Amino acid sequence: MSDCVLVIGGGPAGIEAARTVADLGLPSVLIEQAPRLGGTPISAHYAALTPRFADAEQGIDGMIAALAERENAEVRTSSSVTAIDGEAGDFRVTLAGGEVIEAGAVIMATGFQHFDPGRARQMYNYYQYPDVLTIQDLEAQLKRGEVLVPSTGKPPERICWVQCVGSRDRNIGNEWCSKVCCGVATKQATEVRQMVPSARAYIFYIDMRMYGFWESELYWPAQEQHHVQYVKGVITEVLERGTRLLVRGEDTTMGRPLEVPMDMVVLSVGMEPSKGTARMAELLGVARNRHGFVDAEKVPLDTTSTSRPGVFACGAALGPADLEDTISSAGAAAARAVAFLQAHAVTVG
Amino acid sequence: MYHQPGPRRPNKAAFSWDDHYVPEDFHEQLFELEREGELTVQRVPEPYIEVPVKYGRTKKVPVGHTWHHKSCGQCGHIPGYSTSIFWVHRKLGIDYVDPHDQTSCTAWNYYASATSNAAAQASVAVRNFAAAYETGYFPLIHCGTSFGHYKDVRKELLEHADLRAKVREVMAALGKPLVIPEEVVHYSEWFYAMRHEIAKLQVRDFSRIAVCVHPACHYHKIVEADAIYDPEIYGGQRTAIVTALVEALGGEVRDYSTWYDCCGFGFRHILVNRDFSRSFATQRKIERMMIEADPDVVVTHDTGCVTTLDKSQFAAKALKPEFATVPVISDAQFAALAMGAHPFLVCQLHWHAADYHPLLEKMGIDWERAWAQFEEATDKLRHGEKECLTWEDTNV
Amino acid sequence: MSPSATAATPALPEDPAFKLGPTYSEVPLAEKQRLFDAVRADERYPTYLHGCYECGICVGSCPSARYYDFSPRRIAQAATREDVELFYQQMVEDIWDCSQCFSCLRCPRGNNPGGVVTLMREVAVNNGLDSAKQAMKGYTRIIYKILSTGTQIAPDMLSAEAFPDWGPTVVQIADNLDIWRRALPPETLHTTSISWDVAEKTLLELYIIWDKTGALDVIADLDPDLHELLEEIMEDRLDEAGYER
Repeated sequence: MSDCVLVIGGGPAGIEAARTVADLGLPSVLIEQAPRLGGTPISAHYAALTPRFADAEQGIDGMIAALAERENAEVRTSSSVTAIDGEAGDFRVTLAGGEVIEAGAVIMATGFQHFDPGRARQMYNYYQYPDVLTIQDLEAQLKRGEVLVPSTGKPPERICWVQCVGSRDRNIGNEWCSKVCCGVATKQATEVRQMVPSARAYIFYIDMRMYGFWESELYWPAQEQHHVQYVKGVITEVLERGTRLLVRGEDTTMGRPLEVPMDMVVLSVGMEPSKGTARMAELLGVARNRHGFVDAEKVPLDTTSTSRPGVFACGAALGPADLEDTISSAGAAAARAVAFLQAHAVTVG
Repeated sequence: MYHQPGPRRPNKAAFSWDDHYVPEDFHEQLFELEREGELTVQRVPEPYIEVPVKYGRTKKVPVGHTWHHKSCGQCGHIPGYSTSIFWVHRKLGIDYVDPHDQTSCTAWNYYASATSNAAAQASVAVRNFAAAYETGYFPLIHCGTSFGHYKDVRKELLEHADLRAKVREVMAALGKPLVIPEEVVHYSEWFYAMRHEIAKLQVRDFSRIAVCVHPACHYHKIVEADAIYDPEIYGGQRTAIVTALVEALGGEVRDYSTWYDCCGFGFRHILVNRDFSRSFATQRKIERMMIEADPDVVVTHDTGCVTTLDKSQFAAKALKPEFATVPVISDAQFAALAMGAHPFLVCQLHWHAADYHPLLEKMGIDWERAWAQFEEATDKLRHGEKECLTWEDTNV
Repeated sequence: MSPSATAATPALPEDPAFKLGPTYSEVPLAEKQRLFDAVRADERYPTYLHGCYECGICVGSCPSARYYDFSPRRIAQAATREDVELFYQQMVEDIWDCSQCFSCLRCPRGNNPGGVVTLMREVAVNNGLDSAKQAMKGYTRIIYKILSTGTQIAPDMLSAEAFPDWGPTVVQIADNLDIWRRALPPETLHTTSISWDVAEKTLLELYIIWDKTGALDVIADLDPDLHELLEEIMEDRLDEAGYER
C-alpha cells in the first residue's frame, strides 16, 4: 500500500494536481514525456492567457516554481509510463527505462492536441497557403510581439478568425464545442487591434460562446473599444485572388452570400483528445467516452473519477477545457485522490 | 508574395491522414452484404492501377476490359468527348466494350425534375451494372453526374435494406441479379491512372498551353471520400483529378479564385432557366479565369460542365464585346490532341461553340488543313460513297 | 382554430396561419401539413436532415444563392422547425431554383439541404402542384425522350429555336446533323434522334423499371397526354417482346 499519487502529464493540470497533493500532505510524482514542464501553453508558445491577458509563460513558470518548492513533490521530465500493474491503493507503475514506482492513486493529466486543419472538410487550404494560420500559429507571433502577414512580412490590413474549425462537426466526428476558441479568438483580435490599430479584425462564427464574465470582460470590450467585427456565418472557402486571400461564407443575419478579401485568416482549431490520453487510457484500462476523452462517469457531481478505482483525471484529458476549468478540476482530482488514499489507509491498514 | 502558386506548391508542413481519424470505408459494408447474400459484387479485373483517394486510401482503376457507360449529353451534343475516350483506349491497345445494352443513368432528369424516385434511380443503376456484369466487362462511367449519382445510389443501397429488397424484386422481373461493382470508376480516374502511359505517346508539345481546370461538383462533392486526392497535387488538399493529367502532358495549370464553384449547369436551368446558367458560368467562372489566369483552354471532366462553360460564352460576348472567350474541352479531348488525334475527325471540335482555333494553333495544329480533311471525309458521306466514317478514317 | 384558412386573412393570432400573413391562404393548413409529412416520411429524410445551427456554410457554397433569393439554410430550417407554412411557400416558390450541385454537403451537421430539395420536388411532382407543372413546362420532352429512347437528350434537340443563345454553332450542327453524326467513328453514335443506339430489349427494361417503381404513375399525374402517348407506344413494343406487365 502506497500513499504516493502518480500524476501523468506535466501541463497546467498535472502541475496543479501534483502541487495540491503535496500541499495536502501526501507525496506526488509527476511524469512528463517532454524535456520540460508546461504542456501545450508552453510547447505551442501561447502569449497571453484568456481572459485577463496574463503572460502565459510567466504564469506557467510560476506554477512550475511553486511545485519545485514542495519537498514531497517529485518531477520526472523526459519520462513516460509504459505499464501499470496492481490495483487501487497498490499500483506498480513502470516507466520507460524500467524503473517501477509504487503509487496508491493515479491522476491522468494528459491534456489535448489541436485539431489538424488539414482534416477540415471546409476548403481552408491551411497547408497550401502561407497566410492561413491556426490560433496557435498566431499565438507564437503574438509571443514574439508581432502580427505579420507571412507572405509579405507586413502587418495585416484585414485579418479574420474562423470559428469552430474541427469542432461541432458530425462528418469529421468531433461532435463537441471546444469551449475556449470564442474567448481565445476574441482575446487575439483584441491584441491584434491594439498592436496594429489600422488593422480591421473580423470573427466569423456560428455561436459566440462567452460564458460567464467573458461576456463583459472580453466580448463587449472587443466590440465596443476595439471594434472587432463579429459576423454570424462561418467561412467555407479560402482562396487566393491576386496577392490576397478571399474568404467565402454567408452573412446570415443579412441573409446573403459573403465574399471578402483578407490578408490573414486564422483558424480557431478545436481541442481533441491527445495521443497521450488515448495511450494512457488504454494502458490504465480507463474508459473513454464516445468522443475519445476520458470518461468522467459521474458528472456533474463528481468530475474527476474514472471507470477505474484509484485513477482520476483532470484538465483537457476529460474534454475541452479552459484554464480556469483545468485548474479547478486538477484541484478536485488531487483532493479526491488524497481523500481516497486516506480512506483506504483506514480500511486496509 | 505567394511562393510557387499552382498545383506543385509544397505544403508548408507535412500532412498525412491518420487511420484513427478517417470515416468508415464503404467497402466493409459492401463485402459484408455480399457475404450475407444480399448482393453480388463485381470485382475490378486485373490488371488494375491503385490511385490515391481521400483519407489516405486507394481505389482500384481497371486498365482495360471495361464496359463503357456512356453519357447522354456527351453522345448527344459533344460527341468528340466520347469519341476521344474510345480513341485514346484504342491508341493504347486497351480492350473495351461500347454497349448497346446501356440506358442513360437518368440522373440529369432526376436532378432536373424529380420525376422519379429512389427505387427507380437505384434500379436503373443496378440494371446497367448487371448488364456490364453479364458481359464480364467492368463498368467505366463517362459522365460526372452518372458517377456522383451512382456513388449516391451505392450509399443508399448499402444503408437501406428495404431499398435493396425493392431493387432485387425489380431486377428479378428482368432476370438480373443485384450487382454493385467493387468500385464505381469515372473515366477521368482512368485518365489519371494512365496519364504516364498517355504521355509516352504524346506527339504534340503542350508546354506553352496554359490551362484552367474545372472540377465537376458531382465528381468530388458527392460521397467525398471516393474521389482522387494526390499528395503531390495541391498537397493533397484538393482533388487532383484532371490537374494531374494536364501536368503529365506538359500543360501549365493555373489557379483562380472560383475553383470550387459549380459551373452553373443546374440540370433544369440549362434547359428552361438558362439565364442563371449563363450568368453563373460566365461571371463566376469564365470571367474570373480569364482575368486572373488568362488560360488558353479550360479543361474539365464532365458533360454538363463542358456544355455550360462552352455554350454560355456566345451570349456573354454578344452582351459585352470585351468579354474574352476561351475554348472548353474535356480532359479526354485534351489527351487525345496531345497524342496526335485529329481535331475534327476525333475530337469533333466543330460541335463546340467558343472559338478553339487559337488553341489549335498554339498546339501546332494546322486547323485549316484539318478541316479540309474533315470535309473531304464527310463529302464521301454526302456523295453516298460510304454510309458512315470508321476508326480507320481517323488516321489521316 | 379555423380548419381552413379562407381567402380572408386569419384574424386570430393563435391561428397558425396568421404568423406569416396570407401566403397561399387558399390552401388549407391540413393540406400543407400533409405535404410536409409526405417529405418527412421519405426513408432518406432522417439522413438528409438532422439539426441546424445556422452556420451558413451551405449558403456560402451555393451557386443558386448568388443569383436567386434561394437559401439552402432556410430550406433546412423551415423543415427542422416544422414550419409548414414556410415549407409550403418554399415548395411552391423556391425548390426549383436549386442547382442540385450538392456543395451543401459541406454541412457540418451532416445535413443534405439539396437532398431535402429533391424530396420536396418529388412530393410536389407526385401531388400535382401547379408550381411543379409550371416548372416542368418545356421539360416534358426530356421525359418523353428517356422513356421512348432510353437516353435523356438527343442530337436533334439541338435546334436554333430551342437554343438561340448558344450561337451560330447550333445552326451549323442542325444543318449538318445527319452527315456529322455519320462522321462519328463509334458505331453506337450514328443516331440523330437518340444519343446512342440503345438495344430494344434495354429500352423495354427501362420502361419496366419505371412501371414497377411507380415512376410512370408520376408522369401520369404530371402530364396525362404524355403518359397516354408513351403507353400506346410502349404497350405494343412490350407485347412484341413478350413481356407481361
